[in-house]
Amino acid sequence: MNAVLLIVIPLLAAFISIVSKKIAPYLLLVVGLFNIVLLFFLENGLVFIGGFDVAMNSDLLGISLLLDTYARMALWLINGLILVIFCLNFKSYKAFSSILLLAMAGLNGLLLTNDLFNFFVFLEISGIAAYLITSANKKPVSTFRYLVIGAIGSSLFLFGVVVLYAMYGTLNMIVMIQAIQASGNYAEVILPFTLMFIGLGVEAKLLPFNAWVKGVLGHSNTLTGPMIAGVYAAAMSFVLGRFITNLFVFEGSLLIVVTVLLALGILAGDVMAFSSTKTREILLFSSIAQASIVALLFVNGVIIWAVYLIIANALSKTVMFLVINKATKDVGSDESEALRGLFVNNKLVGLTFTLVTLSVMGLPLLAGFVIKLNFLTQLAGIGQIVLIAIILVASVIEGIYFVRLIVKLWYPGESEISVKYNYSFKAVFIVIALALLVFGTYSTPLTKLDNTIDTVMEVVNNG
Amino acid sequence: MIQYASIILFVIGIYGLFVSKNVIKMIVSLNIMEIGLNIFIISIGFVGGGAIAPIISSTQDLGLIFVDPLPQALVLTAIVIGVGTTALALAFAKTIYKTYNTFELDEMEESA
Amino acid sequence: MRKLFGLLITIALGVMIILALDKTSAFPKFGEVNLQERISNQYLTEENVEMVGSANIVTAIVVGYRGFDTLGEVTVLFISALGVAFIFGGTKQQRLDLKFKPNFMLRVGSNVLLGIILVTSIYIILHGHLTPGGGFPGGAIIASAVLLLYLADDKFRSNVKGFKLIEGIAGSIFVVVGLLGLVFATAFLENFLPVGTVGQLLSAGIIPIIYVLIGLKVGSEIAGVVDNFLTEEESA
Repeated sequence: MNAVLLIVIPLLAAFISIVSKKIAPYLLLVVGLFNIVLLFFLENGLVFIGGFDVAMNSDLLGISLLLDTYARMALWLINGLILVIFCLNFKSYKAFSSILLLAMAGLNGLLLTNDLFNFFVFLEISGIAAYLITSANKKPVSTFRYLVIGAIGSSLFLFGVVVLYAMYGTLNMIVMIQAIQASGNYAEVILPFTLMFIGLGVEAKLLPFNAWVKGVLGHSNTLTGPMIAGVYAAAMSFVLGRFITNLFVFEGSLLIVVTVLLALGILAGDVMAFSSTKTREILLFSSIAQASIVALLFVNGVIIWAVYLIIANALSKTVMFLVINKATKDVGSDESEALRGLFVNNKLVGLTFTLVTLSVMGLPLLAGFVIKLNFLTQLAGIGQIVLIAIILVASVIEGIYFVRLIVKLWYPGESEISVKYNYSFKAVFIVIALALLVFGTYSTPLTKLDNTIDTVMEVVNNG
Repeated sequence: MIQYASIILFVIGIYGLFVSKNVIKMIVSLNIMEIGLNIFIISIGFVGGGAIAPIISSTQDLGLIFVDPLPQALVLTAIVIGVGTTALALAFAKTIYKTYNTFELDEMEESA
Repeated sequence: MRKLFGLLITIALGVMIILALDKTSAFPKFGEVNLQERISNQYLTEENVEMVGSANIVTAIVVGYRGFDTLGEVTVLFISALGVAFIFGGTKQQRLDLKFKPNFMLRVGSNVLLGIILVTSIYIILHGHLTPGGGFPGGAIIASAVLLLYLADDKFRSNVKGFKLIEGIAGSIFVVVGLLGLVFATAFLENFLPVGTVGQLLSAGIIPIIYVLIGLKVGSEIAGVVDNFLTEEESA
């Protein structure tokens, strides 16, 4: 068993799927399950690809993948979520199965690869898959904007990679980290790191590179909303975390610039969500704020709680976008006034939505609270009082607009609206809400893992 | 020094993307940007002093000086990816024209 | 206002990049690259070249050492072609009206040219490990032959289903060849065939096989894109 199968089996399935369109949806189901099961049997470590005599020859000439607990958690989340989201949209978006297979291959590659140029290739595959997924919104202009901004982002990323190659003569991430540590001159790498950070920031929805988000998520449906705000946001946060923790060296004034940008991202996201009346916009601005919080945690070295925050966010955003986008589709408007009283006839959906939202806000008894408490404690431990204050202020704003939204959705308006959720939707909502509830009350399993889940530095130090 | 010309090309492309409001012009700018980047990548591998392309006729040629083959391999990949993005962008442009009968982003009603 | 702002930002970006590169001592000046310090130096050692058996070192890197990148690259083209067909949608397509009417000479002439173009592309694909060229340029040339047919005849439709078939099968075989590397050697896409002598047509192990597959795949993908752009949904 080899970790490369996680990438090439979806690719193979995608190639086969265009020969026979009918089997494509079932291929996606099989491959998704296969990947999730395969992850149980794979061992941690480096996997080499290509070359002519890998066993004898030095393996640095080719490409390598790195699987560790960090990547494994990310892969389970990504593959599982894609599978669930596709199952829920099985009838309406069958045509997207080939594209989702390629998105799966691309995102798995992003999370596994240990080669900077190979990372760029997977960035493009998953990016193009994302443009095509958002074309389901039927808003070609916002998709085109997304494409243009994404292309600029990945070009800047490639620029940074090439400059690094010119300086250190390698593309292997681990060898690169060793070389940068050996040279010890961090002023030299400011330019490539800035370019790469901007490139990743575009996809990870960080301010000020997120101009595409509003157009794409503001018109999203039950496929694009969860895919972009759940799956893609989680994957991009994971890879950004990988880069921030291991490769990027933020020091001195660069650290201040990055911190200020991310803090501004948190506040701006929450303030914009506060002032918006459209439900989908509230959700998307809130996810911009969350993405910035995650990045800020990684910058401060709080890895494990950032990982839990990413997972909790991905699950919560999936539920929220599914609820709202289904309702928007049936009602025909996403103004929060128009959706007033949505939960009157859907008490169960309302209950799960409320639980999930309260978890995002970080109320006790829910997973969000445990996560927030722990990362705030760790931030306090390293003396980042200002950041804690900013996150708390943002939480208050977030609390106000989410409570306002929930109240509106629960209290009936003048006209009664009827939105029907399938049993499959309800089952997913209940499972995710229960999971958040369970981990919120019984958090011992969460504390078993610590910051060592990311083993890149270990490999670097052991040569 | 001469490789900075490619950076200027790259930046011209980005300027075009910032300023232009026409879908086709934006795609052209995107291509200019990518070409600038590709030239930069190739320039990274140039070795002065009469180095030749890394293609040999027999193993006896290996004493010669070659330019760096890796950036050439990278640029091949980058070019193909650029082609893919451009094709997709043009397809979106065609859809946009079909829907709104114009290529000017300002004249469309769909808000950003 | 917007133009001035954009101009300022882009000038700032350009100046920043150039100044930063100029100041950094680790960034080599143009032409003053020391290959000894780079990983690529190892691609050029005699024992490695003999082990690879490819006269074109760039091909050895593209298909051999970094074959996984190439698989990704083919996938990017694949998903673009898929996407273009997906966006235009519709199963019943007809040709767009051309502004000019092709005449008899054009049609016959293009058929003569077609053979020459196809032979050239086959030559380029097969000699990818010996000369500059290979699957990508060769495939693009195949697609240009298809484009010629489209331009020379306003009724012409190629067999799009056949292209899809070639595309899918060639891609699948590429992955299967990679998986065979995993079975017969130790790593995905690792060479498992004898490499022969440097400079011979039959050398370099799996490289020519993969390049033929890439050529077929790229050719059919770009031809498919050409077809998509030159057709429209039937307005019946």
